[in-house]
Amino acid sequence: MTDLLKTAAEFTVEGPLESISFNLGGWRVVISESIVVQWIVMLILAVVFFILGRNLKVKATSRRQMAAEYLVTFFRGMVKDTMGVKYNKYTAYIGALFCFSILSSLMGLLGLRAPTSDLSVIAAWGIVTFVLTQRNKFKTGGVKGFFKGFIEPLPFMLPFNIIGEIANPVSQTLRHFANILAGSVIGGLVYFALGQIANGLASIGIPAILSLYFDLFSSFIQAYIFCTLTMAYVSMAECSDD
Amino acid sequence: MVEDLLRAAAETEQAHFSLVSIDVNTIVFTLINTLIIVLIYFFFLHKPVCKILDKRAETVNKDMDEAEKAKNEANAVKAEYEQRLAESKEEANRIVADATRKAQQREEEIIAEANSEATKLKQRAEESIEREKKRAINEIKGEISEMVVMAAGKVAEKEITAQDNEKIIDSVLAQIGEES
Repeated sequence: MTDLLKTAAEFTVEGPLESISFNLGGWRVVISESIVVQWIVMLILAVVFFILGRNLKVKATSRRQMAAEYLVTFFRGMVKDTMGVKYNKYTAYIGALFCFSILSSLMGLLGLRAPTSDLSVIAAWGIVTFVLTQRNKFKTGGVKGFFKGFIEPLPFMLPFNIIGEIANPVSQTLRHFANILAGSVIGGLVYFALGQIANGLASIGIPAILSLYFDLFSSFIQAYIFCTLTMAYVSMAECSDD
Repeated sequence: MVEDLLRAAAETEQAHFSLVSIDVNTIVFTLINTLIIVLIYFFFLHKPVCKILDKRAETVNKDMDEAEKAKNEANAVKAEYEQRLAESKEEANRIVADATRKAQQREEEIIAEANSEATKLKQRAEESIEREKKRAINEIKGEISEMVVMAAGKVAEKEITAQDNEKIIDSVLAQIGEES
């Protein structure tokens, strides 16, 4: 135990690597590990979507088509149930985000750094949620409704309303990022700790159970929560009055 | 030289972002990547599948309409055939009744004809019997009279006048006529 504590100082968790960096017109462009892994994920998704979506027949016979239809109808149903029929144009974003998020998180299983454990990546999606929310508010309420929304029910609520608008995407961003990061940190810790015991033999089998929760379950649930919250925030931004 | 490069590579690999940091580059690239994934999802999977689902719904609706139409047509045809069947049954009944009526009529005619024929035959037969009877009587009458004359001549052994002869014959004949 004392040995373990002594060596525990060796365990460090670092942020994503700066994989590529170059200068582009005075702007230092740094491509982080997260982006590189995202490219891998994109490649996989592109191939999977392409294979699923081609050669579809009206009379479905292949399992491939069944899977494609199940996936699309699942996202369509999810958007319809949470946001309503008039928001079905958000299906593409929600579906793509869901797949992107899950697969990014699952990249941790391959030993790569999951892009979803990078705050910047989730922050980008949080920004999208924020923009979509404000846009929907503007679209449904117009300029008047948009600004009126901030001083409701009473004008002195203005600061709280502004904080609320920002807090929603920030909270969902932090939730997703922190869950995946914590999962990978705990996984790393367990591997490190078990590696110290019995010459590392203990690290066979035991981490699999933890991985089942922290990688598989958490990946799915966080993607689902993030998508559901995005849909909820966007559809709730609708100005009902006016 | 190579060592320098390796060291440089190692150094760049050592460069990490901090664990909780916001990097504008990453955000921008993530936004671009997300947009690309959305487009890929939309054009590779969502659009084709939705198209095929719509097409299927359309086909199903069309098939259902067609089935409805076919059913109605079948019902119409069935009704027509039932009507025709009823009509032909009626026709058949009518024909049979007609034939029966005609046959009965014919039967009656035949019976009437046969009856009249029989009556005629009977009448003719009776007539001929009567004629034969008369002829036979007349023949018998002649023979008897001869026999009587002969017998009388033998009995009397005398000449009888023609007048007496006739008287006797007449009385005998009357007697025979009464007996017969």
